[in-house]
Amino acid sequence: MSEQDGGSGGPNMLRDGQVLRDETRLFDPQGAQLDAASTPPDEPGWVVTLSTWAARREAFRSRQHPVGVQVQPDDDISGLSSADSGIRQADLHGIAFVAIIFPVYTDGRGFSLAQRLRHEYGWHGEIRAVGDVLIDTVHYLARCGFNSFVLKEGHDPHKALHAVSAFTRAYQRSYAVVSVKRPPS
Amino acid sequence: MYMYDEIDQQLVEQRVVQFADQTRRYLAGELTEDEFRTLRLQNGLYIQRHAPMLRVAIPYGMLNTSQLRMLAHVARRWDRGYGHFSTRQNIQFNWPRLEDVPSILAELATVQMHAIQTSGNCIRNTTTDHLAGIAPDEVINPLVWCELIRQWSMLHPEFAFLPRKFKIAVSGALTDRAAVGVHDIGLQAVEQDAQIGFRVWVGGGMGRTPIVGKLINAFVAWPHLLTYLQATLRVYNLHGRRDNKYKARIKILVRDLTPEVFAEQVDKEWQRIKDGPDTIAETHVAHIAARFTWPSYDPGAADADDQCESHASTDPAFARWMRKNVHGHRQPGYAAVTLSLKKTGVAPGDITADQMDAVADLADRHGFGELRVSHEQNLILADVRRDQLFRLWRELDVLGLATPNVGLLTNIISCPGGDFCSLANAVSIPIVKAIQERFEDLDHLFDIGDLDLNVSGCINACGHHHVGHIGVLGVDKGGQEWYQVTIGGRQSGGAGASGGSSTVRGGGAAIGRIIGPSFARDQIPDVIERLVNTYLAHRDSEVERFVDVVDRLGIDVFKTAVYDDPHLSHASAGRAMRLEAAGE
Repeated sequence: MSEQDGGSGGPNMLRDGQVLRDETRLFDPQGAQLDAASTPPDEPGWVVTLSTWAARREAFRSRQHPVGVQVQPDDDISGLSSADSGIRQADLHGIAFVAIIFPVYTDGRGFSLAQRLRHEYGWHGEIRAVGDVLIDTVHYLARCGFNSFVLKEGHDPHKALHAVSAFTRAYQRSYAVVSVKRPPS
Repeated sequence: MYMYDEIDQQLVEQRVVQFADQTRRYLAGELTEDEFRTLRLQNGLYIQRHAPMLRVAIPYGMLNTSQLRMLAHVARRWDRGYGHFSTRQNIQFNWPRLEDVPSILAELATVQMHAIQTSGNCIRNTTTDHLAGIAPDEVINPLVWCELIRQWSMLHPEFAFLPRKFKIAVSGALTDRAAVGVHDIGLQAVEQDAQIGFRVWVGGGMGRTPIVGKLINAFVAWPHLLTYLQATLRVYNLHGRRDNKYKARIKILVRDLTPEVFAEQVDKEWQRIKDGPDTIAETHVAHIAARFTWPSYDPGAADADDQCESHASTDPAFARWMRKNVHGHRQPGYAAVTLSLKKTGVAPGDITADQMDAVADLADRHGFGELRVSHEQNLILADVRRDQLFRLWRELDVLGLATPNVGLLTNIISCPGGDFCSLANAVSIPIVKAIQERFEDLDHLFDIGDLDLNVSGCINACGHHHVGHIGVLGVDKGGQEWYQVTIGGRQSGGAGASGGSSTVRGGGAAIGRIIGPSFARDQIPDVIERLVNTYLAHRDSEVERFVDVVDRLGIDVFKTAVYDDPHLSHASAGRAMRLEAAGE
């Protein structure tokens, strides 16, 4: 099932200006009492923790359907890459997206992690904000390099789409100025 | 003063739209209390004891008269006819209704004002020397750099949700009037090899754990100022403690890592972003400098006979005001004037709407339409012709704004305290009034000389008690209000101000030391009097100030003098507490 189908619930995600339903699920070996060496089936929509990724990076890379990697605010993101800083940029292949968790929206570490991913690790792929993500935080998130947002319950992704460009000018030059292409209404 | 360009104006207006929508959603139940709290705080809106409190930003303390008139309008229309200037050079309104705040912000935006980041765990209003640009001892004018920091920090996407609030101060003079040693980041503008740059002090602050800042970089050349700040904030944002709000300020991180390791981490981060897009270009500085209006001084003012001396010789009240409230100016024929908001019986920093309008008129006539707010909670007319001083003094006297006490004991810095603030353990305004009444005799007050007395109603230290030469702190003991007294604090200028000794660092700031057990509210004026009398008995001459004597003799002689008084001793305070607890 593709994300565009909408799934069982209503849309709760914004990605590159599109309103969608987040259908991904976390692979949790402990929770499912699986063999620690097991990996999720090679099908779309799986997300693994940073430690699972780091432990079996090569196995994940050979999949037909790449996984998303979930990063907690206190994770050491150098685990995303096996390489030294010099060639980090080439070492992030095989990741569908990086999902940064916001346990509460006032925990601002994820903003800095996204900046590091973009500028230090040269990650050009998708960075997804997950957790306590509000209509009111998507603008700053987008400026820091996030390009998809799974909104918390009660926060309409259509409203969030407008809020992404709540400010159309900016002072800080090293951060993106957000101009979102809105779908024709 | 900086005048907005189109980008500045648009951002402030877009913020008004954003906050109006957030308030509407909150009132409609679409945003929870928890979700709305931080959003409103980042717009300066607290929920206080009686009503919301709205704190409006006055960037680095500079204000023009159309803004001051707007503040008067806000005070009249949405508040109770007055405002309160805070120690961050901002203004607070204590009685607006939440529903009205979007309208207030919309009105403020029409005069280039806002309440963005005046609260919350973000980068707060940058403060500076209230004599910036005009002080005779100034080495580098910090105003353009303050504006650069103002822009860089405003709506910063990465640093809106820091572990805790973050305060930056900038000084460019030999005397540090910005208290850079007690800020999260203190910047001292300096010149090295014919280039402007900044000494960077980090991790100073008051509150529960008062610490003087540590020098982590002796010279950051001006093009790299913003990337260096960015690197510092990023290290703090990622590694500052978030598990305990009392250990979340950057000072705890700097202390835990050691200043050396913290500086290394900042440097590592800095090397990655240095020379990046936030590097300051000369054209950028020029653009901002060009948007400042600077006073067009009359060169003829230097030769005008100001007649101040002859007026002073016949009018002792004018002479006192000249001594304490008039300050030197780099432009011959001009002076800076402090309008004291510390008249006995008026809460420190409070000003009525009528006074605001009247001050705006005076600033139009005598100050090129501009004024400043000092972190000591007074107003400054920065560019007054000396030959107008006598006239100005008479007008200020009528308005109750000519109390000649700047630098003296009754020029008390104080937070609003328990009368208004829901965080306070104890009231502060009645304490201030009782002390001012005790020292009302001006001859005595002048004889005592320079003395900073600061009062905070709780450990958050909004009244800067730690850096008062005498500090008074409201504490809670078993539900009762008590007051702890410290001496020997200073906001700057101590020994080793340039970074020498281990005990006094930063811009020479020092944290006051507690003299002993706390006192009941009505004992405080007696305690202050004992401290002052001890000073007067021990000083070498009138030149040696209270704080100098504390430095020379230590606190023991003062301690003994206070606690030897049976009415002030611990036993007596303890008995008072027991009696009160017993309901007698």
